Amino acid sequence: MKSASFTFILISLILVFTGCKTPLVPPEVEQAKIQENELWRAGAPVYAAEDYARYLESLGLAKDRLIKEKAKFGWFRDYEEVKANYLVVLAEGDTILKRVQEEKVSKLRDFSSQLALLQDRIEKLKKLTLTMNENDLVRRYLSRAEVASKEAQVLLRQGKYNDLAQKIKMIDLPVVQAEETLFSILARYADEAQVETWRKWAEKTVSESRKKGLTAILINKFERTLTLYKKGKPVAVYEIGLGKYGLSAKLYAGDGATPEGKYKVIRKLADSHYYKALLINYPNEEDKKLFAQAKRRGLIPPRAGIGGLIEIHGGGNDSLTNGCIGVENKVMDQIFPEVALETPVTIIGTLESADHLLASLRKSN
Amino acid sequence: MKNLIKVMVLGVFVMALFTSCAKQPTQESNDAKAAVEAAAKEGAGVYAADEFKKLNDDLTAAMDEVNTQSKKFFKSYGTAKQMLANVKTEAEALAATIPAKKEAAKNAAVTAQQEAQSAIDEAKALLEKAPKGKGTKADIEAMKADLKGLEDSFPQIQAGIDQEDYFGAANTANTIKEKAVAISDQVKAAIEKVKGKK
Repeated sequence: MKSASFTFILISLILVFTGCKTPLVPPEVEQAKIQENELWRAGAPVYAAEDYARYLESLGLAKDRLIKEKAKFGWFRDYEEVKANYLVVLAEGDTILKRVQEEKVSKLRDFSSQLALLQDRIEKLKKLTLTMNENDLVRRYLSRAEVASKEAQVLLRQGKYNDLAQKIKMIDLPVVQAEETLFSILARYADEAQVETWRKWAEKTVSESRKKGLTAILINKFERTLTLYKKGKPVAVYEIGLGKYGLSAKLYAGDGATPEGKYKVIRKLADSHYYKALLINYPNEEDKKLFAQAKRRGLIPPRAGIGGLIEIHGGGNDSLTNGCIGVENKVMDQIFPEVALETPVTIIGTLESADHLLASLRKSN
Repeated sequence: MKNLIKVMVLGVFVMALFTSCAKQPTQESNDAKAAVEAAAKEGAGVYAADEFKKLNDDLTAAMDEVNTQSKKFFKSYGTAKQMLANVKTEAEALAATIPAKKEAAKNAAVTAQQEAQSAIDEAKALLEKAPKGKGTKADIEAMKADLKGLEDSFPQIQAGIDQEDYFGAANTANTIKEKAVAISDQVKAAIEKVKGKK
């Protein structure tokens, strides 16, 4: 009996101490831990969400297998299958990491390109606004777009591509609004029927100047030029300034628009507020008709008058006039003696067709 | 017979020795998880992302240890309990740091907002006294329009602060400030140019 007890205790002790001698956990287990962290840091939950979720599932199953093996007595542990499972997980992880890095490079390229295109649109529109006075609203939209664009640059540097997608929409919207506002101002200049009307006015003016041997003035609002004709031939072209909303059609007093139509010089002022001035007979009969129509349609303020006192005057060609045509004083010195009372002054929008206009707009950018 | 009883008692003693820590650390697990959740609610994921990730990893390791032990014949939860206790302590410590970090981020955003406002105000004031001479009137009008665009974007800063997106709010504010300062610099240069001519 004594020897049986001794044997029992001895066997128990052997079992206990040999149970502590365990085979080593495969190094792939620790590698997987490091890899999982690497994937998280690389942004796998964002850039490869589904793959990453599957990876975590595989990792979880491999861990469960490991735990089961670890639960056994050392003698009975066999990590071969665990190692095989972890090798599969590691291979999966490497693939995902590569995909994430490729995705990030691709997104960086893609977003950089989108931002560059948007910035290019903004710059072109800004340049366009410098060619016209009616740029308040357009520039306001562009300013908003530029703020969003700058923020987007920061997000790009930080690699926050999810936030970047949203920010790009915030750039695009005001850019589109700026374009639409700009095009609404320029819509008349793309209207072939309107352009044809202006062409006819110009042709008639030049023709009359030729036939009657007269001096005539042709003002092109889009080109911002004043052309002096003598006997139907252009003798000089000068740069001009327009009203604050000079490209628009004039409807009423104070709208800042420069009128379009066929006028004549009705007064010469050698000493005016703006150096020298040539007063034209705005409003003519056509202007009065349009004013009445616009009033009936409610397009102008109820108390607005039709306006007047539209001149070609000195003081510079870069001012924002109230609707007058501004030139440099030295230009005024050249024009003033050439022009008599009743000299025709024809003001048009443009002579160019819409296609030509667009092409020249693109060139000017 | 007496010897048999002695052997059996010895055997029971040996078994008790190795199963004395057999009770699962349920309370410790719950406490550790609750502490990590509390840190998450405080905003640890945003304001201390790396530390929070490590905390989650430590919790996972602790739970793995619990699972490992639960499957053994001779269970010992001593290590697991210590690991869970450490997670709880670390989580509580991390959570305690978050309000200060949040407050710092908020203060930075508010300061950036005030600086952006000051920059806009300065640009506005300068534009009012900008030289309206030859070649400048149209530019001044353009800059005024640009400034209005910045003012249009300004409310986004407060919106970010209200949504506790302090980093985003600061980013917007710094951008607006930069653009307003650029406008001011242009006007100052124009003023200097005019002074120089005089």
